[in-house]
Amino acid sequence: MNDKKNLNKITQNLDTLTARFNDFAGNKTIRIILFILAFLVLVYIPITGSRFTQEIMTNMFFYIIVCLGLNIIVGFAGLLHLGYAAFIAVGAYVTGILSAVYGVSFWVTLPLSVLAAILAGLAIGAPTLRLRGDYLAIVTLGFGEIVRITVRNIDITGGAIGLIGIERPVFFGITLNQISHFYYMFFILAILAIFVSYRLHDSRMGRAWQYIREDEDAASAMGINVVTARLYAFIIGSAFGALAGSFYAAKMTAISPESFMFLHSVMFLLAVVLGGMGKIPGVVLGAVIVTLFPELSRDIGQYRVIIFAIVLLLLMLYRPQGIWPDKKLISTKK
Amino acid sequence: MLRFKNSWIIFLLLALFTVGLFGCGGDSTAPAGDENGGETPEEFEGEVLIGIMLPVTGAYSENGIDMQNAVFLAVDEINAAGGVLGYKITTTIGDDECDPAKATAAASKLVSEEVVAVVGGYCSGATLPTLKIYGDAGVPMVVAAANATSLVEENPGWTFMINSTGDMQAENAVNWFEMQGVETIGLIDDGSAFATDLKMLTKSQWEAKGKAVLTDDTVTVGEQDFSALVTSIMQAGPDGIYWTAYHAEGALIVRQLREAGYEGVIIVADGTSAPAFIELAGEYAEGVFCTAPPFADLNPAAAEFVTNFKAKFNTDPGAYSGLTYDATYLLADAMERAGSFEGSAIRDALAETDGFQGISGEVMFTERNTLGRSNFVILVVQDGNWAFAE
Amino acid sequence: MSFWEVFLQQLFNGLLIGAFYGLVAIGYSMVYGVIKLLNFAHGDIYMTGAFTGLIILGFISAGIANAWLAIVISLVLSMVLVGLFGVAIQRVAYRPMLKAPRLSILITALAVSMIIYNSVLLLTQGQARPFRTGLTGESFYVGALRLTETRVVLLVAALVLMFLLHMFITRTMYGKAMRAIALDRDTCQLMGINVYKIIAVTFFVGSSLAAAAGMFAGVYYGTVHFFMGFLIGLKAFTAAVIGGIGIIPGAMLGGLLLGLLESFATQIPGVGTVWKDVFSFIFLILFLIFKPTGILGRVESERM
Repeated sequence: MNDKKNLNKITQNLDTLTARFNDFAGNKTIRIILFILAFLVLVYIPITGSRFTQEIMTNMFFYIIVCLGLNIIVGFAGLLHLGYAAFIAVGAYVTGILSAVYGVSFWVTLPLSVLAAILAGLAIGAPTLRLRGDYLAIVTLGFGEIVRITVRNIDITGGAIGLIGIERPVFFGITLNQISHFYYMFFILAILAIFVSYRLHDSRMGRAWQYIREDEDAASAMGINVVTARLYAFIIGSAFGALAGSFYAAKMTAISPESFMFLHSVMFLLAVVLGGMGKIPGVVLGAVIVTLFPELSRDIGQYRVIIFAIVLLLLMLYRPQGIWPDKKLISTKK
Repeated sequence: MLRFKNSWIIFLLLALFTVGLFGCGGDSTAPAGDENGGETPEEFEGEVLIGIMLPVTGAYSENGIDMQNAVFLAVDEINAAGGVLGYKITTTIGDDECDPAKATAAASKLVSEEVVAVVGGYCSGATLPTLKIYGDAGVPMVVAAANATSLVEENPGWTFMINSTGDMQAENAVNWFEMQGVETIGLIDDGSAFATDLKMLTKSQWEAKGKAVLTDDTVTVGEQDFSALVTSIMQAGPDGIYWTAYHAEGALIVRQLREAGYEGVIIVADGTSAPAFIELAGEYAEGVFCTAPPFADLNPAAAEFVTNFKAKFNTDPGAYSGLTYDATYLLADAMERAGSFEGSAIRDALAETDGFQGISGEVMFTERNTLGRSNFVILVVQDGNWAFAE
Repeated sequence: MSFWEVFLQQLFNGLLIGAFYGLVAIGYSMVYGVIKLLNFAHGDIYMTGAFTGLIILGFISAGIANAWLAIVISLVLSMVLVGLFGVAIQRVAYRPMLKAPRLSILITALAVSMIIYNSVLLLTQGQARPFRTGLTGESFYVGALRLTETRVVLLVAALVLMFLLHMFITRTMYGKAMRAIALDRDTCQLMGINVYKIIAVTFFVGSSLAAAAGMFAGVYYGTVHFFMGFLIGLKAFTAAVIGGIGIIPGAMLGGLLLGLLESFATQIPGVGTVWKDVFSFIFLILFLIFKPTGILGRVESERM
């Protein structure tokens, strides 16, 4: 009983803290100043930062993009997806195979990778989205395993050893092969992802998703085709993932099945849930925490996953809305 | 319209974390060998930092931790004997989690921490992208376990592999099969990079001799039931079986094969040479062969290593700890010969290695930085222990 | 080996592994029936049962001469302990979430699964442990079929457990209550059934069955490993769905079918051991498309 009281206190404190932040942000000038400041710092990093810092930040941006994509499916549409790593793999391998084996230019592989994701999303989504959400969870999990096993056992994907020799993209004559190039590339993509997420959220489809999440039957009664809407979410989310995967492949120049395992899917999900499902700043925060937290303390290493899992459990029990509260929500949630 | 109300905080947080990283980046260069004795380096002229890149967390942590322990043991011994060129060795760990992305980050971290050299490398897939990072930074690396062909091909010249190549191991197995009068074989792997590589090499060598590979199977890691596999093997009836992956599944497969009445020659690869294999397979391990470097237990020079390892870590050394121990000593040796801690000097000294006796055998490199001489022998399980065959 | 010999052998293999799948699938189905939750942690309970059995057996086998007796005692103790563990998990993690949205409780189950999995990973340092039983593996032939004493006993034991469970479900009040709750939980509460207690019992029974299966696996295969729950969990879910999720005879049937399917799939040229698992998953997806309620399932309508 005591624990519950303590935990409630923590959540209340979190609420007051973030409420204060929000008040602070109320002043428009301050907002803009901080925004510009933060932006400048981020842009400046590759100039003085070590390779390691850039590597970590690039990874963080990648995570942000991926989590935003997953957020469309889990956060906006409320569908549990346990195989997101597989869609990233689809994008990565499409780009990888076309580039390494057939010598296709990177930029040309992008629309193809998106297409592949759309097809995969349709194949998985169309049959299962009309069933209860629990089924989708297991099917996506199974799909994740299928993709991983397939990729590991056929020659064209390089088998277990993976694909090597993926070409670097060429951008207006410059070959992108420095870590700073990729830093900026992923930074821009992350900003784009945030922008697109907001647009989606405010669009008609976005509102339909919200409605469905709040009350599926009422939404249906109002004429929203629930299955189609969910399918859209699933496919758009998949496309996000595939694009992220393609850029990932270009950066790594070598990909292997070990990067796309169930554990990765779980971590992405964790990041989305941690910050607050559906809330874009929360999701970004979650992605940042999941990528940066392990770097801050090396001793934690072994216990990383279990700590995250316990945090996830506690979150679900005591603060399902995530760390970042919705401004609309006055905290009376139990 | 962008909603600035919320997004500003995203950037603020990113900036804050970055500042935090800058700050923490400095801290992590502190001598970090957790298991190393914390004696004051008074008799030392200074400290030299060596990086360890291994999967110490994650599903492959068993081997990662095992190899890491071997490094710690070697470092402790070297330091106790006066260090390298009078300097105390300290270590820092880059955890690659057997994931190429994490490995890249780990490699970058080690490079930022200004390690003079790196030892480690277990998963080939994860090690591969790091070769370029070390090469670009001028940091020599001695790879103790990973040996996929792709590593050899992509090596920019700064990486040295002391685990015999898959080709050598395959040759070892093929020769032994021939000597045992085996005409047809069946191959099994677990889908991992190393095992698949070895299997394919064995297959091509065997077929090049005009002999048949009757079955070629891949099992799932974590699976326990191989009855279907065993039945199809019994049906095809090869004279010999070569298992190219690790001991957890290997023990189960051997057990189930023998229980089903399979009487052919069974060879397992060096990933299965850990004592745990015999423990897990029980009496079914009797008579099973293994292509391995002269295993620590059998090498009189290594007996001491095994005793010390057990004393310090309370567990038997695993399949690759001997090699990792050697790798660490080799680095120290190269530094002594080079007379400096400069990257290119160490690299050159490594390339020139001649007559270095490790507990896993002699080390000498080809122009491609792979082991010059096959260390592989054939071991056999006799009375519950590994022994030299023939 | 002749075709007939292979067929028989694969048939037996399939039944045996199917029995394991069935035992685990039952737990999945039961829990899904009463609280509509896919308990991701169930596979990890199976694994916990194996380790618990191993530890207990380690303690008592020194004092008991008969290997089988030691195993049986360990089995019973393990089943009880892990059953209680399952009840504890349910109390701590799932019961508070019963009124929460479906997504939340699924994520909770995932978190619990990760906690158990990683705890065992850390405790065993990722190493597989041998499961010493003191049994001999001598085999004998029944016609063309090669069997060992262990295999036969395990198969029989699994079937016996399933039968006992069936009796429990159909003959006892608990069983009746479970089925009632599966149909309409709220009404049951109104009718005075202590729903929470029944849910606890459900978890107890489901978990102890999974623990039994885990211990059987330990005895049979001779090793236990932190990873053994993951794959079994997926397969058991597949089995439960094929048979009809929420329906217990369905879980048993699904388990056996899946076992047989996998066994025979390896004989199909082009599939073999490599694609066996992919084959199962594709089978699952196809089932979900065409008959999501499973073989024994009835289409249920959602009452508004």
